[in-house]
Amino acid sequence: MTRFLLKRLGLAIITLFLLTVVVFAISTILPGNVGRAVLGPFATQESVDALNEQLGTDESVFVQYVDWAGDLLQGDLGTSLTKQAPTWDLLAPALENSFKLAFVAFLICVPLSILGGVVAGLRYGRFTDKSITITGISLAAMPEFVTGIVLILVFGIWLGWLPVTAQAEEGASALTQTKYLLLPAMTLTLVLFGYIARVTRAGVIEALDSDYTRTAYLKGLPSGVVVRRHVLRNALPPTIAVVAVQVGYLVGGLVAVEVLFNYQGIGLLVYEAARQKDLPLLTAGVLVIGVVYLVVTLIADILYAALNPRIRLGGAE
Amino acid sequence: MDRETRRTIEEFRHNEAGPLENNVIDELVNGELDRDEFLRRATMFGLGAGTIGALLRMVGEADIAYGAPLETVQAGGTIRLGIPVFGASLEPYLLNEGGSLAFAGIPGEYLTFTDPKARIRPWLATSWRPNANASVWTFQLRRGVRFHNGKEMTSADVVASLKHYVARGSNAGLAPFYDAAGVSARGRYTVVVRLKAPLGAFPYLLSQTTYQAIIQPAAIVAKPGTWVASGMIGTGAFRLRRYVDKRSAELVRHNAYWGGRPPLDGVRITFFQGSAPLVLALRAGQIDLAMQLSPQEAQPFKNNSRYTYYSQPVSAHRQFCMRSDQGPLRDPRVRRAVALTINRPQQIARVMLGQAQVGNDNPFWKQFGSTDKSVKQRRQNLALARNLLSAAGAENLDFNITTWNFLDHSDHAASIQAYARQAGIDVGIEVMDVSKYYDSEPAGADYATTTPWLNRTATLTEYGWRGVPDLYISRCYMSTGDWNASHYKNAEFDRVARSYLESPDVGAQRRATKRMAGLLLRDTPVVTDYFINYVTASSSKVKNYVPEGISHMRLAKVRLA
Repeated sequence: MTRFLLKRLGLAIITLFLLTVVVFAISTILPGNVGRAVLGPFATQESVDALNEQLGTDESVFVQYVDWAGDLLQGDLGTSLTKQAPTWDLLAPALENSFKLAFVAFLICVPLSILGGVVAGLRYGRFTDKSITITGISLAAMPEFVTGIVLILVFGIWLGWLPVTAQAEEGASALTQTKYLLLPAMTLTLVLFGYIARVTRAGVIEALDSDYTRTAYLKGLPSGVVVRRHVLRNALPPTIAVVAVQVGYLVGGLVAVEVLFNYQGIGLLVYEAARQKDLPLLTAGVLVIGVVYLVVTLIADILYAALNPRIRLGGAE
Repeated sequence: MDRETRRTIEEFRHNEAGPLENNVIDELVNGELDRDEFLRRATMFGLGAGTIGALLRMVGEADIAYGAPLETVQAGGTIRLGIPVFGASLEPYLLNEGGSLAFAGIPGEYLTFTDPKARIRPWLATSWRPNANASVWTFQLRRGVRFHNGKEMTSADVVASLKHYVARGSNAGLAPFYDAAGVSARGRYTVVVRLKAPLGAFPYLLSQTTYQAIIQPAAIVAKPGTWVASGMIGTGAFRLRRYVDKRSAELVRHNAYWGGRPPLDGVRITFFQGSAPLVLALRAGQIDLAMQLSPQEAQPFKNNSRYTYYSQPVSAHRQFCMRSDQGPLRDPRVRRAVALTINRPQQIARVMLGQAQVGNDNPFWKQFGSTDKSVKQRRQNLALARNLLSAAGAENLDFNITTWNFLDHSDHAASIQAYARQAGIDVGIEVMDVSKYYDSEPAGADYATTTPWLNRTATLTEYGWRGVPDLYISRCYMSTGDWNASHYKNAEFDRVARSYLESPDVGAQRRATKRMAGLLLRDTPVVTDYFINYVTASSSKVKNYVPEGISHMRLAKVRLA
């Protein structure tokens, strides 16, 4: 286990390093100019040039990267060029927001999707299975901002039950914050339901068709016990891997949902940093999202092994 | 005319009035000024209310109406505003976006105020007077104005602020008119500004239409870039309590506000990433008032008893600029042909849902006092357009319009494209992101000669509301203008424009605008097919709100039902 973790840590560091290099490299083709973004379209070129010189953005991307990486090695994620604040001070509240939304979405989406997938798998080929599968595919095919607008119209405007923006006021209670997050979480649930349910359904069908399930039935075990002990235990590991990837998406990839629900998550912050060519903020944001992805994937691998005794982490070599 | 009125006027003419004021009186007596225009110019030159009333009585007009006492209002409550998030700085001297200037303009105030009818009003300055040729202006400051930190506003603060706005790096655009050495205090409540050249409309330039020119405490001005960190201290009706970057802000009533106790307890602002969530939030009742909406976005709020729909005609407009120095549009006949393809009333109905006013390819908005209204309106004439193209040998004309994804720009460009096609002109459309449209190309190259908005063959750019057309003329049309996207150069236009800018006389100004309008119709470097209406909406419980043309949200008198 220790060897596995060390290996994954090493790979993670290499992956993150490459990620930052790629972000800096790609930034050279991004349009925009930090000085212009800060001072606006009608500022004189003289002022823009002076600000760029002051911020160091007139240096080559390589020099900027070396400066940024040097700071990183000393534990400093750098300073945002456009906001003139430590990037971590900007990323931390956005990351906290993203985690809150991901958590609420996760709580609704994962149990519902797994339940849908299990029911569909157990009713394979029947009306229930077809209904769940077709509904899931239809919802997944719809862009999230369309799903979001429909939910806003129904629950926010027509029924007036839920707030249409996701950002609760400062100091709001956990319950109030959850209420504000319900509509975006429901949007994400509808988007992800089809995908997670299909993977679960496939696992259930495969497990139901396996020799060990047949043996369990032949032994005379009640259906509930067979499903719980044999089918689910074997059907869920692939679902966990899929859910792990979706958690990364839920934390860092929700720009459209964050815009629609006016929510200040890390996805939107990184998007804005890219638009304004704020390289330190962009790279630090991508790095943080990358860390979240890697940590979640690692947790998923460990869970996977715990659920499936045949998998031994690091033991294959 | 009664004896008292005559005595008041004669005393004023003899003791106080200079050549400019006497000229205004003569113009009124000779019938050159209507009531509105007289009020506009009288206030611009700082005539007192008593004198203005006497002059109106002298020519048989009703006296000026003094503000009726407000109805009894139920004070209290917090209004919730929806403002678009902004990318650039909130520091006054750097303001350049609707969202940031709307926010900064709540705690911040200006020396003068341009009202929605383009009349200049006293604000932090109570009166102003020019010298004989309008090259030196003396402003009397309002006494007893308190900043949010409790200190009294004096000439030292105003002088420091006005100097700050002409310093290097300022976006205020005031440097062409005066320099720091020209601003001085005369006592605790008088400020004198010596201009580089005479300018009859100077008080307009210190109003909220120059949205950077917020009056700040001198101590904060001394450290540029610290206004936000210091709590956005201004003199406005509400002071900042909390600001969460790009997310929300909370302001509370400024109890020492010079304009009386504001009815509202406070203001809560939510900054929105896009217009769609802002519109949805207004519809769902999560905000009470939106900053600005496009006519399409505001449509659901029109004729709906739960909301109030605002549509304020303003001088803000779009400039469809065509390069007059090179490329396929170099020949003025070709540019005239393009302009003649447009059916302006129909375009306003389609693109702006009727919320705009027809333009005549010049920046002279009908409500400007200096606009000569006798200039013939250009109308669609496809036959003439084809003839002009044929005469210019440009039957196969094709070119691109470059613009950015802002409010009506894309629809507007598509509309021009469709009209041009009727005369056989093939127009392409290139819609950019704002950061690309207003940046040098490639990044780091010389700005003036590479930025798309000033260098593409044809561009479509938005211009904000102003109380006088001076800025449009000097920066967009004169050959020395730094926003002259059509690269228009006409010595006669420059000469007439200079005479306009220097003249305080409305008759001379009208003659100048008539000549300039004629030259612009002939040369057509810019198509100004419409002046927009400033459109927005609020919950019906918002009372006494009057939208302005430039995103500011004046809340001192607003209450909630």
